[in-house]
Amino acid sequence: MNQNKFLTALLPFRGWGQKTLLSLLYFALGIALLGGIWELISHYTKNEVPNPRMTWIVLKEVMQNPMQDDADVKGIGTKLFSSLKRVGIGFGLGSLIAIPLGIVMGSSKTVMGIFNPIVQILRPVSPLAWFPLGLAIFKDSPAASVFMIFICSLWPTVINTAFGVASIPQDHKNVGKAFGFSKFKYLTKIMLPYSLPHILTGLRLAIGIAWMVIVAGEMLSGGIGLGYFVWEEGFNGGSVAKIIVAIIIIGIVGLILDKFFMALQKRFSYAA
Amino acid sequence: MNSTTIIQETELKIIETEIDNEINAVLNTPDCIEINNVTVSFKTPKGVYTAVNDISLSVKKGEIVTLIGHSGCGKSTLMNTISGMVKPTSGSVTANGKTVTKPGPDRGIVFQNYSLLPWLSVYRNIYEAVDSAIKGKSAAEKKELVENNLKMVKLWEHKDKLPGQLSGGMKQRVAIARAFAINPSILLLDEPFGALDALTKSSMHVELLKLWNLDHREKTIVMVTHDIEEAIFLSDRVVVMNNGPAATIKEIVAVHLPRPRNKKEIVHDPEYMRIHDKLLNLLIDKFSIEDIN
Repeated sequence: MNQNKFLTALLPFRGWGQKTLLSLLYFALGIALLGGIWELISHYTKNEVPNPRMTWIVLKEVMQNPMQDDADVKGIGTKLFSSLKRVGIGFGLGSLIAIPLGIVMGSSKTVMGIFNPIVQILRPVSPLAWFPLGLAIFKDSPAASVFMIFICSLWPTVINTAFGVASIPQDHKNVGKAFGFSKFKYLTKIMLPYSLPHILTGLRLAIGIAWMVIVAGEMLSGGIGLGYFVWEEGFNGGSVAKIIVAIIIIGIVGLILDKFFMALQKRFSYAA
Repeated sequence: MNSTTIIQETELKIIETEIDNEINAVLNTPDCIEINNVTVSFKTPKGVYTAVNDISLSVKKGEIVTLIGHSGCGKSTLMNTISGMVKPTSGSVTANGKTVTKPGPDRGIVFQNYSLLPWLSVYRNIYEAVDSAIKGKSAAEKKELVENNLKMVKLWEHKDKLPGQLSGGMKQRVAIARAFAINPSILLLDEPFGALDALTKSSMHVELLKLWNLDHREKTIVMVTHDIEEAIFLSDRVVVMNNGPAATIKEIVAVHLPRPRNKKEIVHDPEYMRIHDKLLNLLIDKFSIEDIN
């Protein structure tokens, strides 16, 4: 009923814009609700948790000179890109190993039998547990963060790729068999196109985990990055507003990363 | 003896020799496919399952043979031993004088559910098959083959569409064009029209025979079906199979109806009706509700 009322109100914008407008309206409502709860919390904690208005001022402050890259002062953008770079390197290297490994596991029962127990044991381990190991290996804390991202990016991609490859329908395999496709043609024309949506699901899960883990990792490793910003300037610096600002930025960037992989998934799924 | 009888006798002789020649021509046509005592068994968790048991059958060059039987009677399995997709547990299959061990470009297959690759355009679906199956031709020659075959099934203007954008009949035409494009001497069709509505199916029959005619009726066609009318309209012989497991051939029914056949007229032909009745009796044992008890 409620929706119908909205739709009637939006009648002048009928057509392509109506749905967009409606979803924007819902979004605004959600934000307003969140803002209300936030105000209440600020009120009852006597501004220990700063209210939205105070946070907004801090946000604008933080956003000034975002790309500043001096020896002692780094802008928020510089920190963000530093975090993104670590995630990119770790996630990229991880995927480079995870996709081929998943393909081999999915196509051979023997390889699956060998690697699957290992994957199943290592997968539930908190990525943070790998940080000290990385530190011991590389003797360098930013490298240890990258190592941690690398490890946690592996599992979702390996598992989803292997699942995709193992579930190629017999019909598709028969085409390759009947017309004598070469190994290469089978890989590029049947196996990869079929598994691509599964691989992308794995990558999407992996980037989500990597983005969550980098914040924790940087709290441990220090250096330049959003995680360290939360810890050092937010908590140690006594500015809860900065913590909230960082949470908002981390959330928005995470959403953008997720939407990007979702768009890729959409692009590469096919109706039979 | 007057002169007229002499003339009549000579005419008769000529006709007789012509018939003899025709019979000899058929008898002398080499066997294109030979199935020798083929048994196919599968290992299942419940034990060994025998799908077809000790079947022998030979098919002449240019012949159209249909395998008919109830679902699960092993007719697809038997056909897949010709294509090389299934290996016989015992016995052997010879196609064009060679023992079948795996699929080859001399045998084109049209699958039950079209089996087009959904991420490739209509054109690419055929091109990739041609590119793999045909060796020693230039890219331009291969492209020409694809174009000719797509035009033959009247789908050239749909060449850039993905299979998901086509109707069932169009998909099946793509699958048929793909099988024809590699120019196999044997065409194996596994319930190719099973998923189509009756009207589309009917026009597909005529189109298939047209393609076979265009090729001077030189292609040997083996088709699996459970449609009696389809079997009679298309084939020279109908192979009726027993119910599985361990299916065997129940009977082989010859269809002596002249070609080209006409969909509309053929159903009134007494011979058609006789064969139709015979096949019905072979395949169905309950004809009315009284038969059920």
